[in-house]
Order: sequence, then C-alpha cells, then structure tokens
Amino acid sequence: MSYKIAVIGDADTVTGFSLAGVRHVHVHVSKEETLSKLRRFLMEGDVGLLLITHRVIEDLGEDFKLLMRTKGVLPVVLAIPDKTGYAPAVDELYELIKRAVGARVTEKIGGD
Amino acid sequence: MAAPMAISPTRMELIKLRKRISLAQRGHDLLTEKMDALVIEFFEILKRVRRARADALTQLATAHRALSICLALVGTIETRQASIEARREIQLEASTRHVMGIETPALRIEGAERRVLERGYGIHFTSSALDDAAREFEKALGLLVELAELEESMRAIARELEKTKRRANALEYIIIPRLKATIKFIMMRLDEMERENFSRLKRIKAMLGAGA
Amino acid sequence: MNAERWIERELARLNAHLPARRITLAEALRSERPHVVGRDGSIHEFDRGELELLANMLPEGEWNGLFLPILISFDPKLGRGTAKITGEMEVKVVGRLLGKKCAGEELLVYLPEITVLRKKLPTLTQYFFMV
Repeated sequence: MSYKIAVIGDADTVTGFSLAGVRHVHVHVSKEETLSKLRRFLMEGDVGLLLITHRVIEDLGEDFKLLMRTKGVLPVVLAIPDKTGYAPAVDELYELIKRAVGARVTEKIGGD
Repeated sequence: MAAPMAISPTRMELIKLRKRISLAQRGHDLLTEKMDALVIEFFEILKRVRRARADALTQLATAHRALSICLALVGTIETRQASIEARREIQLEASTRHVMGIETPALRIEGAERRVLERGYGIHFTSSALDDAAREFEKALGLLVELAELEESMRAIARELEKTKRRANALEYIIIPRLKATIKFIMMRLDEMERENFSRLKRIKAMLGAGA
Repeated sequence: MNAERWIERELARLNAHLPARRITLAEALRSERPHVVGRDGSIHEFDRGELELLANMLPEGEWNGLFLPILISFDPKLGRGTAKITGEMEVKVVGRLLGKKCAGEELLVYLPEITVLRKKLPTLTQYFFMV
C-alpha cells in the first residue's frame, strides 16, 4: 500500500527534505500548532513515516509521549537530529535493551 | 508457600490437578525457549539498528552541510522557494512483515524514486548546489526509511520479549506453586480421610467382636 | 481456570506463523516472488540472496530435496538451549553453514549456532516450538 512521508522540524530540516520530495511538512513554531499538525499526521491514515527532530519532541513534552502511546501501527515515527546534530542524553535504545533483557546483560554488550 | 486453591479433596480433583500442572509445566518450558529465541533475534536486530543508525545519521549530517552551502550560494529565499516547487512527491510503500509471529511494518521507498536514489541522480534543478542538496537529502531519506523499519522491528521484538517473560514468570512463581500447594493439600486430606476410615472400621469390628 | 486458557492460546500462537506447506529450493528459485503462506494467512517472503547462497552449496539435482523454510525445532525434551534440524538436505546445508561436516536425518544445534544460522539465513529459517 502507498503512503506519504511527513516531516516536522526546524526550517532547514523541512527545506532539506522538501527538496528530496517530501510534501507533508511542518516547521515548528508554536507548541499548539505543532501538536495539532502532529495529530493530523498520526490520525489521518495516509502517512506511513513521520520524521521529527529531537528538539521538537522535547519541546512538545508529555503531549508527545501521550500521542505516541495512543497511535496506531502506522505511521512509524522516527526521531532525527537537526543540523546541529543534537540528540538527547538518554538513549531510548539503551533503555529498551535494559528493560527487555535485564541490566546484567547490558554490561556485556556495552562495547559492541 | 503458595496458598492452596479451594477445591474439594477428591481423587478426581487430584487427577485433574496433575493434568493442569503438567500443562503449566509444558507451557513454562516452551515460553522459556521462546524467550531464548527472542533474545537471539533481539541482539541480531540491535546490531543492524546500530549500523543503520550510524549510516543514516552520517548521511543526514552530510545532507545538512550540502544544504548550508546551497543556502549560502543560491540564497535562502530562492532555496526555500525551490523546495516548495511542484515536484513529484516521494511515495512510501508499507506492508506488514512477520518475524516469529510478530507483526512489524516493512517500509520501502516506492519504485521510481528508489531507482533514482540507487543511481544517485535525478532531474532536479538548474543550479548544481540545489541539486547536490536535493540528492544528499534523498540519500538520507532512503537510509532513514531503512532505519525506521529496523527500529520498529526491534521495538516489537522487545515488547514481545517482555510479554513472554512476564507470562513465564507468572507460571513459574504463581500458578505452578499454587497448583503444587493444592495437590499437596489434597493428598494430605485424602490420607487423613483414609486413616479416619480405617480407624472407624477397626472400632466397628471391635464392637461387633465384643458383642458376639 | 483462565490460566489454562491463556497457556493454550499462547501455545497455539507459537507456531501459527509457520507455513502449512513448505516449498523446495528449486520451486523458490523458479518463482518471481518466492514465499510461503503461514497458517495464520501471513505471507513470508524469501530473500533471493539467501536462496542463491543455498543454491551454490548444493548440486542442482538436489535442489528439490531441500524444503524451505528450514525449521529450527525447539523441543523441551532436548533440554533448554538445544534445538533440532531435521531432513537430510537440511542437515547437510546447515552443517556447511556452521562449518562442520554433518550427515544424517537429524542435527542438534545450540544457541550460539542458532545465532549464526539466523544471521546467515534470516528469511529461510524459522523457529518451531514442539508442543
């Protein structure tokens, strides 16, 4: 089945991906506006992948987490860095590993 | 020790209970093996995620650099204008994949665009700086799509692993001990009742004997 | 009471994605879109690269003796961490992939070997839990 790609981020991120052919974009300015755009991307069923920058996710706070919990299988949501390369200190991946497999094992794979 | 269940202490119940504990035992063994398999899958996909992430983020950084050059050479307004120009919209193909009975989305950039991405060029703009930026972001997009698919699969496996672990633990620490306790209790009661019966019969015999 | 029901449901779910009918390596190589259909209706596609890896390991005459996907069978009776590969062709091919010479109808494999197998043939192997 055919789906669209959507991007939410700062102006440069949006411009870059627009040049690559992404049409469903939103430049983050205000929290309310972005949340409403986010809801639209998550609920309307035509978006298969949503790229969103870490900074925007942090700005949206708990509301973002809530929307993630209640969304369906699609769209897949992927957090990306903006041009500054900013990524949060807490790596979701690492937390996932700890929970899934148990803290003891993570010591072993630390240097993988 | 676990509290026994409220069941009438009969031999019939004992037989039923033994069947139930055997089923629970079997269930536990199988869930444990499923966990072992899931752990293998999890670490394998984790390796792939790490590699895909490194590749995608490196390319994204490259793309942003190309964009900065473009903004400087061509101008911000012109670049933003070019980005809104009516162009073919990139389509995503999504389907479901099954890994060990776990459903995860499979994502792929559709047809023509994918071939363009693989070849590394498409007809974009007259300015080469714009073209470079577009191309680098297209490459980044392709890698991010792959990364998204892998991360989602990994999350799905992690969820299943946790679920399986919880169920195996429920069997091992709650259900099986409770069944064992109940079996023990019933066996004790049955023994007791048999002894009571036996001593009653003895007394009756004694009474009959005395009255003869 | 409901514990039993969910144990049974869990056990039924364990193997639901397995195919009702496996296909031979020969059939898969011939097909444009090689795949098998799971008993739950899911479609499991085979990767062409993996198929060719196997094709290169066996003479063409033996391609219709190898059934795919290769099942990695867990049986609690074997003890935890041990699984079984069955089928003469399957055993041969798995042995080669693990770097050892194997013959016969059955082969026992252990978790580290299963890891290698899953890495080399992710779409051509599947887990089977013997209930």
